[in-house]
Amino acid sequence: MIQAFAAILGAALTSGACYGAGDLLIGKLGVKLNRTERAPLAFILGAACLHLAVFAILALHLAYWPVFVLLLVGLIAIPAWRAGFSPREASASRPGGGAKAPRGLKPALLILFGAFTVLYFFHALAPESSPDGSSYHLGFVARYLRARGFEPVEDLYAAFSGGIEMVFTPAFAIGKHSAAALTHFAFLIALALAVFAYGQRLGKPWAGAAAAFLVYASPVVGIDGTSAYVDVAAAAITFSVFYWIEIWDEVPDDRLLIPAGLLTGYAYAAKYTAFAIFFYAAGFVWWRRRSLRPALTIAGLALLTAGPWMFKNGVVFHNPVAPFASELFRNRYFHIATIQQLANRFQRYEIANLWSLPLEVTVRGFKTQGVIGPAFLLTPAALFSLRFRAGRRLLAAAAVLLVAYAANIGTRFLIPELPFLALALALAMGNSPGLIACLAIFHAVTSWPGVVGQYAPGAWRLSGRVLYREALRIVPQDRYLRQASRGYVLASLIEEHVPKGERVLALAAVAGAYTSREVLTGFHAAFSEDLEDTLSIGWVEYSQPRVLERWRFPERNARRVRVELDAMGRPDGWSNDEQWSIHELRFFHQGTELPRRPQWRLSAWPNPWDVQLAFDNSPATRWKTWERAAPGDYMEVDFGQPQTLDEVRVETSWDHQLQPEVKLSDEPSRRWNAPGGDFHATPVMPDPNIRRYATRELALRGVDYLLIADDSPGSLDFRGDPEGWGLELAAQGGGARLYRIVPQAGRRQEK
Amino acid sequence: MPETYAPPEQRQPFENFRPYRSTRLIHMSDGDAGARVVRDVYYDPSQPWSWTGQHPTVRLPAGSNQNLRYVIDFALAGATFKDTGPVTLSFYVNDHLLDRVRYTESGTKHFETPVPPDFVTEYKEATVAAEIDKVWFAKGDRQRLGFILTSIGLKQE
Repeated sequence: MIQAFAAILGAALTSGACYGAGDLLIGKLGVKLNRTERAPLAFILGAACLHLAVFAILALHLAYWPVFVLLLVGLIAIPAWRAGFSPREASASRPGGGAKAPRGLKPALLILFGAFTVLYFFHALAPESSPDGSSYHLGFVARYLRARGFEPVEDLYAAFSGGIEMVFTPAFAIGKHSAAALTHFAFLIALALAVFAYGQRLGKPWAGAAAAFLVYASPVVGIDGTSAYVDVAAAAITFSVFYWIEIWDEVPDDRLLIPAGLLTGYAYAAKYTAFAIFFYAAGFVWWRRRSLRPALTIAGLALLTAGPWMFKNGVVFHNPVAPFASELFRNRYFHIATIQQLANRFQRYEIANLWSLPLEVTVRGFKTQGVIGPAFLLTPAALFSLRFRAGRRLLAAAAVLLVAYAANIGTRFLIPELPFLALALALAMGNSPGLIACLAIFHAVTSWPGVVGQYAPGAWRLSGRVLYREALRIVPQDRYLRQASRGYVLASLIEEHVPKGERVLALAAVAGAYTSREVLTGFHAAFSEDLEDTLSIGWVEYSQPRVLERWRFPERNARRVRVELDAMGRPDGWSNDEQWSIHELRFFHQGTELPRRPQWRLSAWPNPWDVQLAFDNSPATRWKTWERAAPGDYMEVDFGQPQTLDEVRVETSWDHQLQPEVKLSDEPSRRWNAPGGDFHATPVMPDPNIRRYATRELALRGVDYLLIADDSPGSLDFRGDPEGWGLELAAQGGGARLYRIVPQAGRRQEK
Repeated sequence: MPETYAPPEQRQPFENFRPYRSTRLIHMSDGDAGARVVRDVYYDPSQPWSWTGQHPTVRLPAGSNQNLRYVIDFALAGATFKDTGPVTLSFYVNDHLLDRVRYTESGTKHFETPVPPDFVTEYKEATVAAEIDKVWFAKGDRQRLGFILTSIGLKQE
């Protein structure tokens, strides 16, 4: 019960602080809003401000809970204190009015909202078990709090801007995981209120109410908005940008560009794809004024809230928009091929025919992980709203956001579009409240989790049960999480069996927010992916050094030698373009290998940072391009002085068919010349201890533990003979095994 | 210009380290055991053992074909044995018969036998199986039950 109370307290203080900060800024700006719209707009705007304050606290390494409590209480108290001395703005810029809702609609909507709110509240308060929430959204929050501030984390999810996670941070510091989920739920309420208020502002409160309900009850919104995710918050931000721009259009006061600008930047801070709203906002104000000035004002203000994240990424990853655009901002932290593969995957989600996407995201939801509900199959009818000015604007904003949706067609990536589409749909129905009431009731029935399970059994959705026992911890948190989350079970396994300060390479999904140990996941960063590649070399034949390429030529003197490609790697659809790799590069003279000297200078392109892996004498490591191989890719050795040699050997693998050429430098002319001679490629057997080489490499990089899911590729190879890998079983559970790398006798491990 | 680096510390070969033994044993307690079943294993992820039908077969990943032994741990349940009486089990690798054994008592059993290298193709998946000559029909659903399987696979000596 104390955990539940702490979670409510953490979320309440954080939400209150968001509202307080926003209310203060709105007051300072002298903006007059009606009561219905002031609350959600203040909350969302305040979240943008609070996020900056928390960012500063983490950057200064002052992340102690009393600091957060002071901040939150201050942000709640100051506006409240000011309000006591100044009269409230009396009226909205344009109070709601217009068509009256039919009798009975109001109580019916209240009942529907109420039912979903009860379900949502207890789900948010229950122990957080969502896949992304319990792994990285809160995993990094927990990690930063342990470190009292930001620390460089080589992980693509740490590279994504964390604008919502900043708001989660003080909530988590007070009330842990559930407090963060409840805070996200507060964003959901704010979003629904904002949509309702916008309808009221248009003079169509019943349309606003119906649209708010379409968004609020949507199955994917329900599960996302009551978990420690960020999509619903991103939707709240993008919609509030639209809202502020609409107010600016009505009230020609450029101070209104301040919240709009700050929020466009906050959209970037929340989720990269949400930044599309900036283009709508900037384009809209330019169009209305036929002047660049308001657009530049928005851009400048956006930089205030988005800039810290670009700066952080610039410092940590040498790439302001990491993990993307690594082709432009070359860095050692992310492999280009991996990011491309992920991007390609998110653009398809294994959907063979994209024409089926509307059905997938509305009624199937297995591949794209969730449904928005069958009511949204009526979305094309929203085009009838084009007859209204508001409808045209709503659909224009939705269209801009839909462009960004193409980058990731997962259902939850549609959430930012939903408020616009729902309002347009409600407006399209014109003055037919009866029709809208029918739509709302249909949506309520088809969005109830138990019903969703009937037509979309594989979709990510809420449990049909009200989780009050779990939320109030009548069912102990540990027991519930062990049933609800395999990631939690694995996190507990790590927490219990891995000493503090040790790192774990996991070939399984771990709820990182529930362990204080550092868990590395292969594709999350170049470092961990290199480790995973090394492990693969241990057991995957086609990754092992089973090909020896030899160039023999008449004795030559050269200071620099290159092996260089002159061909392009084969494309492989969208998943795995051909890459070039070298396990070892060796030079010989009269059959004797030239010893590798410290004076040698090694270089390679691309991926210059891994070149040493081809010169470490380990069969279990290799240099890879980690992007599609291209003509001109090379590896080069500068001996420091002319060196006599007559043979070059490359040890490589089967997983590419690329054939490099050897070139020797002619120093006076600064040209590269082929040495002539002959070339042979022969199959060879790898060292019988290659598995042990692999685990030794992990230990040498400071990773002494391996978590391997029983159903992950190669798991049988590990458990078949752990000793042959140099491993010992440390623990087992949750369908996975935790191994410890046995230290090499007589050798101190380097960290 | 890309960065340049000096050669790193040279890794030394392992001495006196026992090379890896290619062991591909499927325990019914493994999280992935169900995915490896080809036929006649009534896999239950909540139990460390599974009932089989007449000819349980599982698929093994690719590996070495040298010095392999077929290994199986199983039990003949008293409840079925009292109806079936003594049973004969045949053991297979890639549909090649390895041996036949007659069991005259119920209880836990262990069987292993060498596998000729030509029964297994190196770097190709293999199947291992056991066949019981008499099955027991469960009352009610009339399911054909053979024996209780704990683990099965190939072990390299």
